[in-house]
Amino acid sequence: MSDNNFDKNSKKNVVQFALMLSVICSLLITGAASGLKHLQQENIKLDKKANILKAANLIKGSNKPPKNEILRLYQEHIKAGIVNQDGQPVENETNDVLHLYYYHTNNVIDGYILPINTKGLWGKIQGYLAFENDGQTVSGFSVFSHAETPGLGGEIENAWFRKNFKGKKILNSQNRFVSVGIAKGKVKNLPKNLQDHYVDGISGATLTGQYLSEGIKSTLTKYEPVSILFRQKRLKALDQ
Amino acid sequence: MDELFSLFINSVFIGNILLAYFLGMCSFIAVSKNIQTASGLGFAVIFVLAITSPLNWLIYHGLLAPGALSWIGLPDIDLSFLKYITFIAVIAALVQAVEMIIDKFSPVLYASLGVFLPLIAVNCAILGTSLFMVERNYTFIESIVFGAGSGTGWMLAIVSMAAIRQKMAYADIPKNLDGFGITMIVAGLMAMTFMMFSGITL
Amino acid sequence: MTNETTGYKDILLKGIWRENPVAYQVLGICSALAVTVKMSTAIVMSLALTLVTAFSSMIISSMRNKIPSNIRIIAELAVIASMVIVTDEILKAFFYDISKQLSIFVGLIITNCIVLGRAEAFALANNPLDSFVDGIANGLGYSLILIAVAFIRELLGAGEFFGYPIIPSVFYDAGYQNMGLMLLAPGAFFIIGLLVWLKNSISESNK
Repeated sequence: MSDNNFDKNSKKNVVQFALMLSVICSLLITGAASGLKHLQQENIKLDKKANILKAANLIKGSNKPPKNEILRLYQEHIKAGIVNQDGQPVENETNDVLHLYYYHTNNVIDGYILPINTKGLWGKIQGYLAFENDGQTVSGFSVFSHAETPGLGGEIENAWFRKNFKGKKILNSQNRFVSVGIAKGKVKNLPKNLQDHYVDGISGATLTGQYLSEGIKSTLTKYEPVSILFRQKRLKALDQ
Repeated sequence: MDELFSLFINSVFIGNILLAYFLGMCSFIAVSKNIQTASGLGFAVIFVLAITSPLNWLIYHGLLAPGALSWIGLPDIDLSFLKYITFIAVIAALVQAVEMIIDKFSPVLYASLGVFLPLIAVNCAILGTSLFMVERNYTFIESIVFGAGSGTGWMLAIVSMAAIRQKMAYADIPKNLDGFGITMIVAGLMAMTFMMFSGITL
Repeated sequence: MTNETTGYKDILLKGIWRENPVAYQVLGICSALAVTVKMSTAIVMSLALTLVTAFSSMIISSMRNKIPSNIRIIAELAVIASMVIVTDEILKAFFYDISKQLSIFVGLIITNCIVLGRAEAFALANNPLDSFVDGIANGLGYSLILIAVAFIRELLGAGEFFGYPIIPSVFYDAGYQNMGLMLLAPGAFFIIGLLVWLKNSISESNK
């Protein structure tokens, strides 16, 4: 198109060009976004499942197994459940029900996993806290999403931080509910009677630790009725 | 109110958009040679950030977010993938307006900022602040505070760097380290000092 | 034919070494520091930026005689933004975990001075194929620096390479500890400052 009379700065060309560019760009972007949306949502769902499995210690370490493995493990061992405010399993989803996941082997409940949804330093922290079926011992912790500073608060998603949660207890020696929290500094510097209820803090990320501790405590308080049922050994099998 | 103050302090010191998140480096390196120009640019950035952040919030939550269009009866539409292009358009438009304002009121400042004024439009810190605002799900008021805070943090970093570099003009720096290299190392030391703020609880 | 190949070789050499976008032109630093904590994120980011620069330079170059001057920058930004959005969508669909870690930095490729810089400095004055090669060249130059920084930071800061621990455990038992500073902001600044010093010294001694 080496037309000698073509003036690229003419008003007509500006409008034509802008329109063409807008149309082409919009088609391209929208095409990519809608075409790939399905795949992206699958990825998010898969990631959630992987994190639930991580909290339940069915996936160890930081490496994710292939998709089929994740789906198989989830299918075989995890069942989503709804309970009411008293911890009793219910069928209908109303506004004040609580969501949780049961970790089972052949319908026998080995533990339960609670979703943690708390405010962090920069944004929401979402994760899962898993318990053994004794209703008081933590068996695992995983972080699904957060907006904390990489290298500082962001360490909450790393294996070294998460594995410290295993074995911590939310009831103290007088059987009172004390929750589990993140210490400021190392746990070994705390008095002996507190060591079972804290994990090592992340240096440089005290605030993230505080927010996470508060969030865990308020979530666990809401789910206490469920934990109590487990302590009383009233929830043993899935089809009760 | 406490929360907002805490957010402001956090974004200036602990999560300083430049020293902790590395955004806004290009103009940081180029303009930090002189304190006057650095402050001028810094104020311009604070202004642009304090306006684009809430403006983009309105556009995102009013038009683009999943479910945002329910006020015209289209609750299922999710246009969030358009956020990059709309944010940058808003930023470019606002920077154009700021340019015209500065040219009118202070031609001296306009001349000394030169090409760096329009370059604010592609300053990663501006787009980055809007993107963080979306990712962290701030409220409208929080987005204003966060924008102003990020801008202030950026200005603090660039003015400090200008002050240090003016002093360094008397130092004997190896030729190949001069300019970019030494600026990076000084920035690293500044980043280290800013990290000490993370130990403060308000 | 010889002219073309030496032409490409020249473009490649300039982009990758002689006029390296990060070390020489001082462009694109923002993401160079943030995503270099791990090699995996650095590589994906490098790939994304190289492809975006190459394709947007090529597209802009093919339109260079038609773009009206007064909407030039906006038109370039529109093309670049579209490329970036498509890249982001592809990453979220096929490389979900990495895209989570890259978070906003993929979007920030739009404001990455390298992309816009090459469009302005090269694509507007050269043909599409040359522009594509120039985009690849500068992208590779950027990748070089990024990967070097990431390699050092991951090795010293976490004792790993691509997520695999390579510092033998005997070192840790003997008292060796990972240099945590490398994983944080200051570490990135120091490494990149020192690397550029090194690169400039090498370039100078070669002259």
